Amino acid sequence: MSSPDFSPVTVIGGGIAGATSAIALSRHGFPVTLIDEQPVAGGQIFRAPSPYARRVVPPNHEFSGGDTLRQKLAASSVDVRFSTRVWGVSPTLTLDLLGPDGIDQLPAATLVVANGATERFLPFQGWTTPRIIGLAGASILMRNGGTLPGQSVVVAGSGPLLFSVAHQVLELGGRVVAIVDAGHRSDWLRLGAMLSLDPARLTQATSWMLRLRKAGIPIHHRAHISEAQETEAGLLLTVTEMDHPERRHLYAADAAACGYGLKPSTLITRTAGVHHRYDPIGGYLEPVTDNAGRTSRPDLYVTGDAAGVRGMAVARLRGLITAHAIAHDRGVISTETYETLTRTPLRQRRRLEAVSRRMLPLMNAGSAIPAHLQDDTIVCRCERVKAATLRSAIQAGAEDLNQLKAWTRCGMGPCQGRMCEDSARGLLAAACGKTPEEAGSFTARMPFFPLPLTAVTGDFTYSDIPLPKAAPL
Amino acid sequence: MTQALHSRPDVFDTVVVGAGVMGATTALFLARAGQKVALIDREDMFRAASGVNAGTLTLHMTRAQLIPHAIRGREMWLDSAEWLGEDVGALATPGLSMAFTEAEEELLRQRAHVRQEMGAPIEVLSAQEAIRIEPGVNPTLRAAAYCALDGHIPTYRVGGAYARALRQAGVTIIENSPVEGICPVTGGGYDVQMTGRAHPVRGRRIVLSTGAWLEKMLGWLGYDIPIRCLINQLVVTETLPPVMRSVLSIANGLLSLKQFANGSVLIGGGWQGEGNIHQGGTRVIPENLRGNVRLAQHVVPRLNEAQILRVWLGLESETPDAMPLIGALTPDDDAFVVGCVHSGFTSGPYMGRLLAERILGGDPDLGAFDPTRFSSLPATGTHP
Ligand SMILES: Cc1cc2nc3c(=O)[nH]c(=O)nc-3n(C[C@H](O)[C@H](O)[C@H](O)COP(=O)(O)OP(=O)(O)OC[C@H]3O[C@@H](n4cnc5c(N)ncnc54)[C@H](O)[C@@H]3O)c2cc1C
Repeated sequence: MSSPDFSPVTVIGGGIAGATSAIALSRHGFPVTLIDEQPVAGGQIFRAPSPYARRVVPPNHEFSGGDTLRQKLAASSVDVRFSTRVWGVSPTLTLDLLGPDGIDQLPAATLVVANGATERFLPFQGWTTPRIIGLAGASILMRNGGTLPGQSVVVAGSGPLLFSVAHQVLELGGRVVAIVDAGHRSDWLRLGAMLSLDPARLTQATSWMLRLRKAGIPIHHRAHISEAQETEAGLLLTVTEMDHPERRHLYAADAAACGYGLKPSTLITRTAGVHHRYDPIGGYLEPVTDNAGRTSRPDLYVTGDAAGVRGMAVARLRGLITAHAIAHDRGVISTETYETLTRTPLRQRRRLEAVSRRMLPLMNAGSAIPAHLQDDTIVCRCERVKAATLRSAIQAGAEDLNQLKAWTRCGMGPCQGRMCEDSARGLLAAACGKTPEEAGSFTARMPFFPLPLTAVTGDFTYSDIPLPKAAPL
Repeated sequence: MTQALHSRPDVFDTVVVGAGVMGATTALFLARAGQKVALIDREDMFRAASGVNAGTLTLHMTRAQLIPHAIRGREMWLDSAEWLGEDVGALATPGLSMAFTEAEEELLRQRAHVRQEMGAPIEVLSAQEAIRIEPGVNPTLRAAAYCALDGHIPTYRVGGAYARALRQAGVTIIENSPVEGICPVTGGGYDVQMTGRAHPVRGRRIVLSTGAWLEKMLGWLGYDIPIRCLINQLVVTETLPPVMRSVLSIANGLLSLKQFANGSVLIGGGWQGEGNIHQGGTRVIPENLRGNVRLAQHVVPRLNEAQILRVWLGLESETPDAMPLIGALTPDDDAFVVGCVHSGFTSGPYMGRLLAERILGGDPDLGAFDPTRFSSLPATGTHP
């Protein structure tokens, strides 16, 4: 074993994977810096309720899990930098940060990216109407702020978040008008049959389903919201059955929460230049990793949902395994110790992942929707680009997602294409008979989110500006 | 759109290598004149300098000797509906170049004078006069050079417009095909070989218009011209209420600042990033990002309300004398180059048209751009 290298490790993301990893790394003796954009650790699942929340969703095992994680982190030697966002990363792994004191740079000798997943959204006619929000956004609103998106809500899209959000609406005293799921009922039943492998999920799913059934809430499978209209009484939502487009159902509601599953957040890893692959089952791009989170770039590890969406329980195990792998790669523990430490987590993970993988097609059940978008549906909200504009650019020869972006501005707005990438890719692939992978992915650009200009400029006078020599005349 | 290439190659009248504004315009005018033309690019077309540039139609930042060309290019952009077939949204605005120190004022006056001599309608205004034209500028300015003939163009609309025009003119567009070799063919013409394609494309003549990548390709034809690659930084903000209406610059030419119709402000001026064009991959130099943005905020103080949306870098090429390369490379008049044009987006359509005219037998004045000026190769020497 070579002599141990205790150089510092930087972890991006204080969710389950990142926080678990950070704590384990500090126990191995590494100086660890943990960066998270939220004011406290916990990530999406363990999100702490705001002290100003009006009401809170009653605590369940997820919340107590979050509290335990936060306590462990506080007791550890991990240096935490909260309310700090990463807005850029260089090929040498220097991070550009925006924190409470402005911008800063942090060179990372070893980097663990654990920035989780992002919701996938697919557009429909009228989706930019107020009171239509993402499922993840609705969940944050309810868990963090105790606020209902509306008194009556249609919950639509795909994946398990549908049922979680419906449950939260009921907990806060709201009415779930309907649940609209792009997935097949039979896929859910098959998943249910596997849940014995994951007792925590089984208990939760059973209690949610019983409750929804008891409340008599209509559930449509293989269906999607195809149109939203704003009326004086609220939203009028058209639900269309995917295999029988002539079958439509109309619902009136105050709000609609809609999302099509999760995808790994890849801006950081794409910019850092690690290899990615398109997972056709998940319908998303993910960094190529080994079972411990190693990437094509030495010293850069990806863990948790950022390495492919597998859910909370797997995220914790992945975070742990990645920490042990770093200890092993740095010569801090021997191969035997590594194997001993990871035997149980790897076994547990294999079992849980069997369930998580079943979840992927359910989350990606809306993949056929973008091909059929109506011409005047807005695909990119930031730049107000409609499906017709994309189709005419494709006709002119834009057969790659970045050319399509360059010619139409789709994906150039403040959200960096997070909202429209999946639908633009689906539409492009369908229009030129390519696979989604061949259609490509948007090139990531810095900053990863809009950066206040004064954070970059700071206080200065004219003479502080290092003016380059004059251009040739 | 990439046409299947058969084992027995078609012979094109002209094969143009590099589908930026220079190559694409040349191809368009040749095809319109009846030639059979192929246009090849290593990537999708218009993705290099011609797809990522700032779209300033500027005389203030153009090399003095190129002002007549820039004036013509700007006019072409403003009437793109006429010759390109669609209006790409070019907008005529005034341009103001500012001086904040005594030294800058002197530079401003000197540069304005030289450009005036070359035909640019530039006059130097007092601070008060400049503020009347552009109320949002920093009142500490000392003087400004005013040019009525500036403007800007939404670059993103240009590539699609060219693609439609080229296709309509019958140009064969071959994308995602890096050219890796050019072989003279006995009996005249060239075989152009591309990575990933079994068969070359044959042309009676070739045009090299590969921008920042010209150096290597000119080397294949026996030219040894060191071409510097600039890595220009651009910064765009989120949409803002109107903060300016003209194109703003400073005396030494290292700022270009304008607000597009949608409210976003584009900050450029040729601050440099880092990168290697052969390995690919560029990166922002933090001090240069800060410097460029500080300069912009100094010139228009209300930019302190802005949010930076994106920063990117693009590659521009420059010859040792910073003048273009446009003209014939061989005595047989069968290989040509067009590129390395300073502020080349402004004059691009005009430069491309001039080369097409030259290839079609015309005699436009390209003397100052003669690519043989750097080499010991005699202009009418032997075939390399
Ligand atoms: C960031 C930036 C901002 C700018 N701002 C302005 C401005 O505001 N106003 C202005 O007037 N000018 C501006 N310019 C300059 C202007 O963009 C360029 O002068 C002009 O676009 C150059 O056009 P081109 O056709 O010569 O080169 P390019 O547009 O670079 O085209 C060259 C093409 O050759 C292709 N190619 C390269 N190698 C090969 C190969 N082996 N095989 C096949 N194809 C190949 C490339 O893919 C590329 O498409 C700016 C430039 C940059 C980089």
